[in-house]
Amino acid sequence: MASTYARTPENEKATEPLASEYPKTVATPRHVMAEPREPPRYFAVVEVVLRFLLLASAVVAVVVMVTSKQSKTLVIPISPFQISRTAKFQHSPAFIYFVAALSFAGFYSIITFLFSLHALLKPGYHPKVVSHFVILDVLLLGIMAAATGSAGGVAYIGLKGNSHVQWAKICDLFDDFCKHIGASIAVSLFGSIVLALLIVLSFYSLSKRIPK
Amino acid sequence: MESQYKSGSNIGGLESGEKEVAIANKRKMRGWDFVLRFLALGLSLAAAVVLGVNKEKTTVPVSLVPTMPPVNVPVTAKWHYLSAFVFFVVANAIACAHAAISLVLSLASVSGKKGISMVIIFFDLVMVALLFSGVGAALAIGLMGYKGNSHVGWKKVCNAFDKFCDQAAAAISLSTVAALLFFLLVVLAALNLHKKH
Repeated sequence: MASTYARTPENEKATEPLASEYPKTVATPRHVMAEPREPPRYFAVVEVVLRFLLLASAVVAVVVMVTSKQSKTLVIPISPFQISRTAKFQHSPAFIYFVAALSFAGFYSIITFLFSLHALLKPGYHPKVVSHFVILDVLLLGIMAAATGSAGGVAYIGLKGNSHVQWAKICDLFDDFCKHIGASIAVSLFGSIVLALLIVLSFYSLSKRIPK
Repeated sequence: MESQYKSGSNIGGLESGEKEVAIANKRKMRGWDFVLRFLALGLSLAAAVVLGVNKEKTTVPVSLVPTMPPVNVPVTAKWHYLSAFVFFVVANAIACAHAAISLVLSLASVSGKKGISMVIIFFDLVMVALLFSGVGAALAIGLMGYKGNSHVGWKKVCNAFDKFCDQAAAAISLSTVAALLFFLLVVLAALNLHKKH
């Protein structure tokens, strides 16, 4: 079942030691290959596309978050003074963590994107490190989910406020800032989902023994 | 499928020895799987309960007029006042339910049907994301309560509610360990699949 996918000569060479264990599958009949199934390249292409999406969403989330600074001039009703208030992402540790985590995610996804692109262009070459990327992917999913959760928690307080602990909402004042934060969190959520899909894909191809 | 090929084609002491090693390996993996799952079940349940029963009544001195002595006002902190804590408790409850169901399923089908185990791994992955996001949200709000935020005028509340904050911190650390256990479960499954190659 598995070796029906091993079509290219390089792949067959790669699975040589395994093939001795499964003598039945070495001589794959021709008609099995003609089955109406997705070819193995399909998985590699999807992986490259998903990794690019992950890279793009991490970069977009970081850029949108970093450019969220907004200044407002407040007029105090009775006195003649005006005060200027600024909202920056650096004001909250949750947003700082968000930027750090998403920057790391972008950096990591550049590396893995290049690796998977290389694997797509040169199917035979498959270093052992690459197949262990799935573990790092799961770790990155944890980091990204924590970043999205923490930024989302703080942003929700900013949006709605909390009357029980006297935290006033700030989004009526800093509307632009909040739009940036919200968009950034949404993009990061999208990135997390893409990453989860990538992991599921890796598991699927691992369990079906599809060479990447 | 694999074992069919093996038993059909390989006859000899060496192969059967290898097979025994593989089975023993698998059994060891399975044992670890049970232990991790059980611990994750307990820890996520504990985290949900510890934060779910979190409630503190206290009095804070409020000075209405600067010259007058402050008035003691009774205030209550409950876990469901903060939406991040609600999300945290719900996430931990879901993770706990998943751990229980998957424990029963994997105990029931010791032979290990491939489809069921893949579904369980998929939900393990979902639990990793869910628990980490819950921990992140609760930690961000807890930090806000602990430190306050001077830029937007959010005052800290942990000086008044010390027991409440300690309990929340305990719940967050329990849930972090549970999330790491689910992470280990997924890693274990990945390594298991690698070994089958």
